[in-house]
Amino acid sequence: MEPKLWKVSSHLVDLYRRDFLKLSAAGVVGTCFSGWLNILAADAAKSGVKHKSCIVLWMEGGPSHKDTFDMKPGTADSGEFSEIPTSVPGIRISEHFPKFAELMQHAAILRGMSTGEGAHARARYYLHTGYREGQGGLVYPSIGSIVSMELGQPDFPLPNYVSIGGPSFGSGFLGPRHQPLVVNNPDRGVENLRAAVDEQRFTSRYSLLEEMEKGFLKEYQAANSQAHQTTYQRAVQLMQSREAKAFDLSQEPETVRAAYGNTPFGRGCLLARRLVEVGVAFVEVTLGGWDTHQDNFDRVKRLSSVVDPALSALITDLKDRGLLDSTLIVWMGDFGRTPKINNRGPKPGRDHYPRAWSTVLVGGGIKGGQVIGRTDKEGAVVEERVVTTLDFMATICQILGIDYTKRNLAPGGRPIRIVDKGGNPVTELFA
Amino acid sequence: MYAAWKPLWMGALGVLITLGILNGTWGGEEPEKAPTRPLVSAGEIAAMIDRHIAATLREEKIDPSPRCSDAEFLRRVSLDLAGVIPTAEVARTFLDSQVPTKRARLIDELLGDPRYGQHMADIWQALLLPKTSDSRRIRIEPLTEWLRASFNENKPWDRMVAELLTATGTPEENGAAVYWLANPRVDLVTGSVSRLFLGVQLQCAQCHNHPFTDWKQDDYWGLAQFFMKVRLEGNPRQNGTAGVTEGERGRRGMLPEGVKQVPPRFFLGEQPTLARSEPYRPVFTQWLTAKENPFFAKAMVNRLWGQLFGRGLVHPVDDMQPDNPASHPELLEELAAYFADSGFDVKGLIRAICLSETYQRSSKPHGNNADDAILYSHRIVKPLSPEQLFDSLQLVVGPATPPQNSNRQAAKNPNQANARAQFVAFFEADESADPAEYQAGIPQALRLMNSPQLNRGGVLVEEALRQHSTTEARIEHLFLGTLSRRPTEAELQRFRDHVRRSGSNERNGLSDVLWVLINSSEFVLNR
Repeated sequence: MEPKLWKVSSHLVDLYRRDFLKLSAAGVVGTCFSGWLNILAADAAKSGVKHKSCIVLWMEGGPSHKDTFDMKPGTADSGEFSEIPTSVPGIRISEHFPKFAELMQHAAILRGMSTGEGAHARARYYLHTGYREGQGGLVYPSIGSIVSMELGQPDFPLPNYVSIGGPSFGSGFLGPRHQPLVVNNPDRGVENLRAAVDEQRFTSRYSLLEEMEKGFLKEYQAANSQAHQTTYQRAVQLMQSREAKAFDLSQEPETVRAAYGNTPFGRGCLLARRLVEVGVAFVEVTLGGWDTHQDNFDRVKRLSSVVDPALSALITDLKDRGLLDSTLIVWMGDFGRTPKINNRGPKPGRDHYPRAWSTVLVGGGIKGGQVIGRTDKEGAVVEERVVTTLDFMATICQILGIDYTKRNLAPGGRPIRIVDKGGNPVTELFA
Repeated sequence: MYAAWKPLWMGALGVLITLGILNGTWGGEEPEKAPTRPLVSAGEIAAMIDRHIAATLREEKIDPSPRCSDAEFLRRVSLDLAGVIPTAEVARTFLDSQVPTKRARLIDELLGDPRYGQHMADIWQALLLPKTSDSRRIRIEPLTEWLRASFNENKPWDRMVAELLTATGTPEENGAAVYWLANPRVDLVTGSVSRLFLGVQLQCAQCHNHPFTDWKQDDYWGLAQFFMKVRLEGNPRQNGTAGVTEGERGRRGMLPEGVKQVPPRFFLGEQPTLARSEPYRPVFTQWLTAKENPFFAKAMVNRLWGQLFGRGLVHPVDDMQPDNPASHPELLEELAAYFADSGFDVKGLIRAICLSETYQRSSKPHGNNADDAILYSHRIVKPLSPEQLFDSLQLVVGPATPPQNSNRQAAKNPNQANARAQFVAFFEADESADPAEYQAGIPQALRLMNSPQLNRGGVLVEEALRQHSTTEARIEHLFLGTLSRRPTEAELQRFRDHVRRSGSNERNGLSDVLWVLINSSEFVLNR
């Protein structure tokens, strides 16, 4: 369901873009590509500057909190799994995260998530953007695009937002520069990254193309022509960059690849680490299958065993490279799952539950080794330290050093806060 | 298979149209006139469209752009109707033709081209099949074939929808049955039917009363009841085993969560008395496709309009509700009435729209209209669909090599075993995206720039070398075969200099030119 304001908004988006186009046609903005080789050479030196990065491990479908990080042994519908102790005394988690349990000192579990959207699409939108879908008739930027804009260097040769294994959410009113680069298969990395002709010939082709594009944009002033050109500029920049080697997983020793688990998600996490190492600001890795209405326990067990080695290797690798304090890892999904076990099918499951659930934060300079928030004995209600979607978004921003009260200009000149009013960071995370 | 019955006069008309097309190249003599319907002519409808559009522009004091050039029109209407750009030869002939009615004739020719059916099938296949992991494994070719044939023979829309919605049998017997196999739950069908054939987004009302309208959950479930007796048999992933029946007391395999049992009721309409033993779908279909149904004709008119203009009169095209009014309400009403009166003649409606000045406006902003995106002062520039892009590229560089591992791929996903399907999957935009929005990202740009297939020169370069002897004429050939226009003086000079610089091997130089052309905005956009 799209609200009526959509109509107005797409019109406004157009107006906004057209302003941009006019400037662009007049040569005021937009990168000129004639000198790109030089620019990039100069760039390589600069990219040593370190900003914080963020890796979101997106558990598509909504993982069951009661079967992962907020277990309720000995109560009704507590499920089939047992708890195990972790490296931090007093903190216990599911038995299916044995490796991660050893790294608990780096992590904080937020057990008071309460986010108010129980349908997948709307929940994903809300938890990626901090705004409800359709609110105010705008298309909001996802957190990846916000981080790309706030932390990414504008002339960094790689996209500052890479989404692995799923398309995730786009840049909304922040425009095409902050769209994610989508890598569907981490093994294949970015396909067709090399030019089919020699460099000199490619350069002369590209400058002819630029001439064509200039003429077309001037005549038609079409926003999609501008988008086409921006995309091409970024693609060429990527082709030319040394950093693009980060996409090639074959450069990792077999032992490292094995540590992440022999799964597409594990390889996605490995790729995320390589990208953060070269300076990409935001990477999202998706693991689907958590919508466990049926067969909850077999599936959560299997999925946990996919996450455990990948997450643990990621933490360890970042730590070994001195990058853990500057890299925030977020484990999260659409929502939690019902405290009660349904009995609809032959193999019982749990249904959508946004009222009380858990997320996990690791690294990024937070105070690790703690659990923040508490649910009741059923895992149904948050009894202590509620974290709303707005609080959560503000927290992520705060950890990354982004001023979440900052306003960006949306179409029509509307100043829109990065996180809407009412969101407060979880201060317990900051030592 | 479906019965090939149609009214006699329709058949006769079809034959005459076909004959007209065969004779009716724009360069030759006037084609034999098809008998006009006892109705208003397409020309009159076109004039009606222009009247409405012009009135609003006048009111809003927005300048309309002038009529588009022949080159713009040719490329636009070819992509819009046949789903592919014209060849260099067609472009040259059309641009040079002095026949005053050449645009009208081109429209008729394209509507008679078998690629019209393919293009419509591409669009409707995507609309009819949900992109879920389940439905991806069902072989969809029988549905594509049914759509292609139905659109090409211009089956009246009411009959086509009726055939689809009452389909029984296996896909091998009846391609339309795939629709039911791919939408194996009553909520999927209910949502799909209301979006596509009623033009309303009723799916929210599955779980709660609609927030912006008076639609209640009972409206949703009342509609859903009509599909409750459909039975799916066999395994849809295995050829020849799956089928659709509507039995006396059938039950669809799986009921969605929160199902509400209410009596069957037409959407915002009456509650029919139904015999327990009779199938429900035909009763529903009869109500749906009736001329008097206030939703049915409008939904299709708005969708076709949106398809041709990049924006519906109601936009998004399937969100017709009081809070989202049409930009031109009377126009929508009148077009819907015409469509119903014409016997739901899809080609007739498309012909009328394409004949209008509104459709034939330039996409270049003019006067004060640059900021207008909703009143049709100038044509919206749209990106090519993945199918249009693939078919157009094939025309230019030659047939794509079939994908490797096609057998293994076929086992996993039977619909992606050929090069076209894989290309489409790679370029496919988000379903909810605005049709005018450019969706391709860096991976797509890299593929267009660097894939070996698009770098080897290909058929257009060979044609240019074979058919023409000067560099200038060869460059012109490449322009005509990609952008459907001749190069400007400045472009010609620039590219000629480039080809000359690349030395004795003119083929290389021309391949560079082609590379530039197919990677340009102008190629990937329909202007």
